[in-house]
Amino acid sequence: MTILKKTRFQEYADPSEIIRLINKLNTPSQSVRIMNVCGSHEHTICRNGIRSLLPKNIELIPGPGCPVCVTPEEDIINAVEISNRNGMVLATYGDMVRVPTQAGSIREKAKNLKIISSCHEALTTAKDKPVLFLSIGFETTAAPAASLFRMGPPSQFYFLSSHKLTKAAMKALCEDEEVGVDAFIAPGHVSTITGSREWEELSQNYGIPVVIAGFGAEDILSSIALILFMLKTHNPKTENVYKGVVKKEGNIRAQKLMKEVFDITDTRWRGLGTIENSGLELKDSLSPHNARSSFQWERIDDEDGLCRCKDVIMGKAYPHQCPLFKKACTPHTPKGACMVSREGACNIWFRFGRW
Amino acid sequence: MRISLFHGSGGKQTRKLIEEVFLKHFKQSGPLEDAAYLTVPSRQIAATTDSFVINPLFFPGGDIGKLSICGTVNDLVVSGAEPLYITAGFVIEEGFSIDNLNKIAQSMAEEAEKNRIKIVAGDTKVVERGKADGVYINTAGIGTVKRRFSVEDVHPGDAVIITGPIGEHGLCVLIEREQLEVESPVKSDCESLYPLISPLFEIPQVKWMRDPTRGGLATVCLELCEDTGLGMVLFEEKIPVREEVQFLCEMLGFDPLYLANEGRALIVASKEKADEVVELLRKHPSGKKAGVIGHITDEFRGVKLITEIKGERFLDYFEEDPLPRIC
Repeated sequence: MTILKKTRFQEYADPSEIIRLINKLNTPSQSVRIMNVCGSHEHTICRNGIRSLLPKNIELIPGPGCPVCVTPEEDIINAVEISNRNGMVLATYGDMVRVPTQAGSIREKAKNLKIISSCHEALTTAKDKPVLFLSIGFETTAAPAASLFRMGPPSQFYFLSSHKLTKAAMKALCEDEEVGVDAFIAPGHVSTITGSREWEELSQNYGIPVVIAGFGAEDILSSIALILFMLKTHNPKTENVYKGVVKKEGNIRAQKLMKEVFDITDTRWRGLGTIENSGLELKDSLSPHNARSSFQWERIDDEDGLCRCKDVIMGKAYPHQCPLFKKACTPHTPKGACMVSREGACNIWFRFGRW
Repeated sequence: MRISLFHGSGGKQTRKLIEEVFLKHFKQSGPLEDAAYLTVPSRQIAATTDSFVINPLFFPGGDIGKLSICGTVNDLVVSGAEPLYITAGFVIEEGFSIDNLNKIAQSMAEEAEKNRIKIVAGDTKVVERGKADGVYINTAGIGTVKRRFSVEDVHPGDAVIITGPIGEHGLCVLIEREQLEVESPVKSDCESLYPLISPLFEIPQVKWMRDPTRGGLATVCLELCEDTGLGMVLFEEKIPVREEVQFLCEMLGFDPLYLANEGRALIVASKEKADEVVELLRKHPSGKKAGVIGHITDEFRGVKLITEIKGERFLDYFEEDPLPRIC
């Protein structure tokens, strides 16, 4: 079955051919739940109407693929409280400021807010004023954030790490029977940092296929074909169809930098709760910069009300199954985190379809 | 020279401004009356009004002046009317450059002349600095009705035609406003539709048309489906989008289907006549990329897009305005 390798697919890139292959490999009586954990993958799936092309028994489920969506309310509320109490500038990314929490959003509550598009802007701001940087995201943003500590940040630069490790969430989802994931489409961007070897543990320990994919419709379709082939032959492995970009070992320099700055720690995910070894926290040697340990910290549980973002992040519900979707909750008036960012599943579903 | 509050006082300065800017370009003379006397060749008149608050005022492919004429003309044209007269009211911010006002008036005059319509009445008001953004223009246009289009004539099986590539005006304004540095600048499609569209008035099988401005092609299609209670199938691969527009939209996170156009028309014609209509459109330089992009159906309600890989998705209204002050 060398035809399932990327090299073949490049010649074989006609989507209708891949769909024919999917139908050939499919066992209609067997339900297959394939989860993606990257907003850009969900975007490609929705924009191209990929779900409409697949046999009914194959489900594509958006998972925890948006960093804004998985940041717990606790981190957001404490970031606002600490920065307000201590006369600091709260620096964070544009989408974060609109995330609703039980205590309001950052935009509503922060007294001194700086919206940044690159983490380096947070450091620059700290030259003049005390800054609390709420740093969020998966490996892709954690690596550049780590680089800030090589630049000798001033003492008034406080870092609140809400960084998450993708694989830890995927493992938690594998263990959750209610979710019932049969395979993963692994994130292309994150894999450039972690390397394709990052996901091998998933296919080995949980016996599920993992395919690292790029962001074209053909990439997603060929991943699905490859997953079906692995399921049919009972040979779950980690395969990479984003070969030109993702290497087996990943970006060694970025990995080294992250190890230098961060320790792996248990952390809370909005929707998923606390997951063992799933977050990055500043090393003890950097504790003078750690906002979480330097200031009074309040423990806060997420409160979702009617919003089903939690289930959406877990892959237990599709966005349109939430009672608020497209009614009270729109990109303009988000009630849940998944509607805020363009990477959030609810936001993507809102933009690409009538459901 | 800049506009001061005196220019809006109704006194000497106002008169001077009108004479030196507006009357000069609009080629009007004689005493300034309170109303214009018009002769119309028909008892069937179409009337429209529009306001223009675009930011920025000048953009590749046009300016607020040209836009105000084209926008008004196009509303008349897609209603089956031959545009005749137009009026223009200006709300100007104190401090606005008179040079720029001259440029705007000049492009209005040029565009009116091209379309053989007369700017017959005008008004000038000045508001304090900060109470407006440069200049706003309000227009009214009237024309004689040559054809009456009605959604009631739209039936399942009819062809849906677009006259040219979509998304250019919206993207162009966005790039200008955000000062994005792009290699190949996107020009607005701002243009009068009269020369392109008027030959279609003679074809009875042309049933309905609309210019997809704010909300873009998707919104006009959705509105048509709502008004008719019918459905529409659109084929993504058939919808003309310039390569640079597609590329920039993907990069910036916009969907060309929802971006404003200022020189395009969406036309519904009977299936049998569709090719002839397209051929006629393609004879005009502005209609080179015209084509059938879909059809009307009664199998479902709403707008279904068949994506390039033959997937399906239903389009829906955008609740928020992705780009305010686009026209």
